Amino acid sequence: MTNLQSLDLFWPELIITVVILTALIVDLCIEKSKSDVVGWVLVIGLLITAIAIWNQDKTTTTLFTDMIVLDPFATFFKLLIILSTLLVAVVSWQNNELDEYRKGEYFTLLGILVLGLFLMASSIDLIMVYISIEVVSIMSFILAGYLKLDTRSNEAGLKYVVYGAFSSGIMLFGLSILFGLTGSTNYFIIQKSLAGLDGSASAALVMALLMILAGFGYKISAVPFHFWTPDVYEGAPTTITAYLSVAPKAAGFAIIIRFFHQVFADGGALADAESLSMTDVPWPEIIGILAVATMTLGNLVAIQQESIKRMLAYSSVAHAGYMMLALPVLSIQTVYAIMVYLVMYLFMNLGAFFVVITVKNKTGGETFDDYRGLGWEMPFIGVVMTLFMLSLTGLPPTAGFIGKFYIFSALISGGSQYYWLAIVGGINSVISLYYYFHVVKVMFLEGERKETLVQPPEVMSGVLLATAIPVFLFGIYWNPVVNWVQNSLIFYVQTM
Amino acid sequence: MIENYFPIFIVFIVAAGFTFVSLIMTHILGPRITNPVKLMPYESGVDPLAETRIRFSIRFFIIALLFIIFDIEIIFLYPWAVVFKDFLSFGSFIFFEMVIFLAILVFGYVYVWRNGALDWE
Amino acid sequence: MDQLNSYLFIAAILFSLGVFGVITRRNGIAVLMGVELILNAANINFIAFSRFGGMNFDGHVFGLLVIVLAAAEAAVALAIIINIYNNMNTINVDQASQLKQ
Repeated sequence: MTNLQSLDLFWPELIITVVILTALIVDLCIEKSKSDVVGWVLVIGLLITAIAIWNQDKTTTTLFTDMIVLDPFATFFKLLIILSTLLVAVVSWQNNELDEYRKGEYFTLLGILVLGLFLMASSIDLIMVYISIEVVSIMSFILAGYLKLDTRSNEAGLKYVVYGAFSSGIMLFGLSILFGLTGSTNYFIIQKSLAGLDGSASAALVMALLMILAGFGYKISAVPFHFWTPDVYEGAPTTITAYLSVAPKAAGFAIIIRFFHQVFADGGALADAESLSMTDVPWPEIIGILAVATMTLGNLVAIQQESIKRMLAYSSVAHAGYMMLALPVLSIQTVYAIMVYLVMYLFMNLGAFFVVITVKNKTGGETFDDYRGLGWEMPFIGVVMTLFMLSLTGLPPTAGFIGKFYIFSALISGGSQYYWLAIVGGINSVISLYYYFHVVKVMFLEGERKETLVQPPEVMSGVLLATAIPVFLFGIYWNPVVNWVQNSLIFYVQTM
Repeated sequence: MIENYFPIFIVFIVAAGFTFVSLIMTHILGPRITNPVKLMPYESGVDPLAETRIRFSIRFFIIALLFIIFDIEIIFLYPWAVVFKDFLSFGSFIFFEMVIFLAILVFGYVYVWRNGALDWE
Repeated sequence: MDQLNSYLFIAAILFSLGVFGVITRRNGIAVLMGVELILNAANINFIAFSRFGGMNFDGHVFGLLVIVLAAAEAAVALAIIINIYNNMNTINVDQASQLKQ
């Protein structure tokens, strides 16, 4: 499709672009104290974009001469991203951390992040992968270091820049070697070239794939590329931490699934993972070991943390590990399981971080000591946080249990050589029970009872309910999510 | 073919060699008498009056940064200019594509200007 | 393709120097210089493959885009380092370690 014809199907991204420019102009015209108005512009713009995505033709085609693709898989991720951005933007109004800064640029940067994440979910060309990852990374650097007067935020921004630029550079070098081996940047042509490659280039191919995995692993915080995660998550403003733990991770998984699915498994033509070991390197085992390392390290280090924000950072590393467990099998069932898990993970992780924001607004602290007796002082927060902790552990009847159930069942049905991954996943869920319930214990069983009950502000209560109700509801009645994922599991496959 | 460049190699060796030899010989053969006055920074014979590091104004950095960003934008104009004539047969869309790109960057420029990043210089 | 190999060799040397720079240097700006070396090594790779491998211009176009993105990233990184200097009065990346536990 040429550029002009593709614009007809590109409406959501065009609307987001117009929203970003409008937010810029509005930010210029208003004064600093009223800069929440830009947040309104962003929220309304995101709702219009969501309507545009719903009303799009359900065609499956490539746009802009095979650069990005429009298929239900990409639409699923776009809707997930809009949902998370809406929730985070609404909470950003309430966040006291940002009060002495101009919020206009904050919302504009969130808008640009959304555009970059859309492109990440739809890219089928190496150039587009690199550009979209860089757009998301650069905006995340700025947002992580947004609190200019807080040295912790400055340090978070610095660490994020150094790790992020380094990993992007390594990924780019790997992409260049892959380009050289196959002669093109398009996924479909690469797949055809790789299928016809003989064994003489396998060393270069292994190097290229390791470097590309380094870049992708940095985006989803897989071990051993996770070193930026705890410091950045702790230092950044909490709304940005909540956003970074959900949306770029989801888009990163979209890129990984598309890359491995198309470049290696020929868009689903091969039902098992035999083609992944095409270069005599046991890729399923390597990804399995990385997944196990990610889960285990995330869970074990989270036990020792004093700060809830840092604990949630390590727990999000562990959850990326649970999702990576399903990758070695690489069948349609595992992609399905990862997508279901992403929906559940969005609600429970955002909810947990929103509770942290509410408590920080009230008491100004984020360590376990500040949570003593919170269950009695703010019962709504106590109940909701308990629900989120139950769900993050994966206990029934919450959404987290459904997510883990799908992942483990996809693993077990993949073959007997993956049973050990499911066993390790189960053991890790039990380990995570300890630190998630530490929060509940500190909230309810420690500290003295207070006489006055405090309610959080209405907007925060509304958002917390909006994340808590799905966490509970999807644990009992998860059919809507499953049907939505089932309808979205159509990849664009080029029949040449 | 590389033998044609042999004289240049000789010039390089002579120039570098002269520099290195003179530096090393003065270091080995020269007298070694140090003296506090010799080690002070040179300021035309008088005692140093002020701190040598000036306060570097941040506006220099901001202007340089904006220059780099807008210069990078110009890089995108080069491939467009190369294929412009061939694509013009498909209609006038290619012209408006670049106008839209430049308009988005003009938005950025207006933002920078109104935020006062271009003042006081 | 001997010429292709020499370009790839130079790119590999630049990549190694860049990685060494990022890992070893303490000065924040020197770390950024290492990152720029890595990105330019990948650029040389792209252009060399595109020149000696086929006649489509994918590699050259990608090279232009990488130059632009590297400049944008360096701009943002320098702004963050200036912010750190204003607050902590140092650009030594080892000294920014408040968040370590």
